[in-house]
Amino acid sequence: MRKYLNSVSLLSVLVAAPLMTMAHAEDKLESLAKSENNWVMQGKNYSANHYSTLTQVNAGNVKNLKVAWSFSTGLLSGHEGSPLVVNGKMYIHTSFPNNTFALDLDDPTRILWQDKPKQNAAARAVACCDIVNRGLAFWPGDGKTPPLILKTLLDGHVAALNADTGAVVWKIENSDYKVGSTLTVAPHVYKDIVLIGSSGAELGVRGYMTAYDVRTGEQKWRAYATGPDSDVLIGDSFNKANPHYGQKGLGTSTWEGEAWKIGGGTNWGWFSYDPDTNLVYYGSGNPAPWNETMRPGDNKWTMTIWGRDLDTGEAKFGYQKTPHDEWDYAGINFMMLSEQKDKDGKTRKLLTHPDRNGIVYTLDRTDGTLISANKIDDTVNVFKKVDLKSGVPVRDPEYGTRMDHLAKDVCPSAMGYHNQGLDSYDPTKELFFLGVNHICMDWEPFMLPYRAGQFFVGATLNMYPGPKGNRQLAEGLGQIKAYNAITGNFKWEKMERFAVWGGTAATAGNVVFYGTLDGFIKARHSDTGELLWKFKLPSGVIGHPIVFQHKGTEYVAILYGVGGWPGVGLVFDLQDPTAGLGAVGAFKQLANYTQMGGGLMVFSLDGKGPYDDVNVGEYKAN
Amino acid sequence: MGVIRFATVLTAALMFGGAAGTAAFAYDGTKCKAAGNCWEPKPGFPEKIQGSKYDPKHDPKELAKQQTTIEGMEERNRKRVAYFKKSGKWEYDVAKIPAQ
Repeated sequence: MRKYLNSVSLLSVLVAAPLMTMAHAEDKLESLAKSENNWVMQGKNYSANHYSTLTQVNAGNVKNLKVAWSFSTGLLSGHEGSPLVVNGKMYIHTSFPNNTFALDLDDPTRILWQDKPKQNAAARAVACCDIVNRGLAFWPGDGKTPPLILKTLLDGHVAALNADTGAVVWKIENSDYKVGSTLTVAPHVYKDIVLIGSSGAELGVRGYMTAYDVRTGEQKWRAYATGPDSDVLIGDSFNKANPHYGQKGLGTSTWEGEAWKIGGGTNWGWFSYDPDTNLVYYGSGNPAPWNETMRPGDNKWTMTIWGRDLDTGEAKFGYQKTPHDEWDYAGINFMMLSEQKDKDGKTRKLLTHPDRNGIVYTLDRTDGTLISANKIDDTVNVFKKVDLKSGVPVRDPEYGTRMDHLAKDVCPSAMGYHNQGLDSYDPTKELFFLGVNHICMDWEPFMLPYRAGQFFVGATLNMYPGPKGNRQLAEGLGQIKAYNAITGNFKWEKMERFAVWGGTAATAGNVVFYGTLDGFIKARHSDTGELLWKFKLPSGVIGHPIVFQHKGTEYVAILYGVGGWPGVGLVFDLQDPTAGLGAVGAFKQLANYTQMGGGLMVFSLDGKGPYDDVNVGEYKAN
Repeated sequence: MGVIRFATVLTAALMFGGAAGTAAFAYDGTKCKAAGNCWEPKPGFPEKIQGSKYDPKHDPKELAKQQTTIEGMEERNRKRVAYFKKSGKWEYDVAKIPAQ
């Protein structure tokens, strides 16, 4: 009997053990993200790896992809981000005024509901880089509160809509466009919290990240990028594992006087989250103004990779990539999580982040320790290298910027060697598929006053293709590469006519999908980079593709509608090459390949789709 | 004459050496005053810009505007959320929210 009991106890322990090693209970959103029928958040899952396990479409048959159906949003200007797919519905967002549409995947003809916010048009005037928006977030509901679609508006509002009806459940003010503060960032939902970033560093906006209760819109915490530790939410445990990154008081002491109050550091990129560490990861943007001479100091904590507690906002670590920025390398790019063995064979929980400054950073995401920091391209010249031990980038003074001086041939340009594109990671191949920019610049700053609500840039730029592009033609502004974060090797690299601005999606079918500014969706072989398929879309792409399955058919969907920073010349009809913060000159050829648009295109093998039965969606007379 | 020539060469050498020296000591981000504080002024630029020709002369009233507007938004949101929790209805217009 005793023996029997013992063996039962032993059995219970054995059964319980694997459960006990699970550090967290999976929440509903996390499990929804695991179904390939869904694409429930912009990064696909909390790790934001943008990787689909689907194989119906693969390297062998991708050439048979055809359009299954399409949808026009009725708006022009840049269409960033991607739609969401949840429980058989697709949710589509647009540029300003940030309309939302819900479609039924069985019959996408009928718009299930639409939300068309009334916004003050004045918000448009303080958007630095086109009237874009990076997407929606979804929260699955809890029985009491219905499932929600979360959205941001350019004028600074955040709204939660009933995902079934589109009715507004709550709507709060996060940013005030009257002081130049706008919203283009996608909301990110983790557990029951929605995180909202900020925009406006080109208007001297001091950046902040805010967490709201997804059910009520109640503010849980707000963390600033600059200023006193109490505002930045820096406590005693901050950077304990890496004290050389800097710890207390630096949000004010690395600035002269009160310049931190208009110090930028907004965060309008992508976030990720690890339920085991309960940390949310994101990057803060560039300091203001662009004129470096007007803000002596390291300007902490702009340009920083953050690990913050989801529930309290307290920063566990912060690593500043670009101390005292001189090039507008806004450090907001995506944070992609992976588990890989480091060079010593130790399995580590990692975070990989290709920055505007031309360096791909990989950190241990439990404590912020630097693992690797490699150049995205060998033509990066602003930094000689990043010293992994001290964590500081070794600057080449020749390519710095300063007052009364015209800096030339600086690589990367302010648009970065990587910008807002949300890329992908194949965990089986341990490869990151990076959409890369190849743009360099000349830069000369000038003095200017700060007036709340007015632009506060203070630099004149000329941008042009990098050394591997064609500066006479103004083409060869982009690259796409497969990167290993541990070895630092690029498995393959391919040049593109224009910057690969929108990001990539990878699948287990050995395919990498991405859109191009000149209006293609392309598929490359993930092992070799060989171009396998492309399709000419109505307009250029600045969003990322998604891959999902509906009723047994695999679909690839992508938004088209050129714009964003590279499209400002085309969108606002600008000719002066230094206009559009210097982007007009670099992308002067863009208008010869594309015009504005706005919509969605959905692909499947042979175009299989909801209307294979031609009677679906037809009007039926009584 | 020979001496003068020598002196010229020496001056040139000193000047060249001086310039090279300046470049070597230019701000490269590796010389830190404290952990996380590695900024240095570039050659010819001041440690402090206040009072220099690069003084931004910020108006404290302008610098305060962002914080004021954030406090206003936070206060209005608090009222909206409190009423929502109480009534189950979302009222965006705080003027229409009944007094407690």
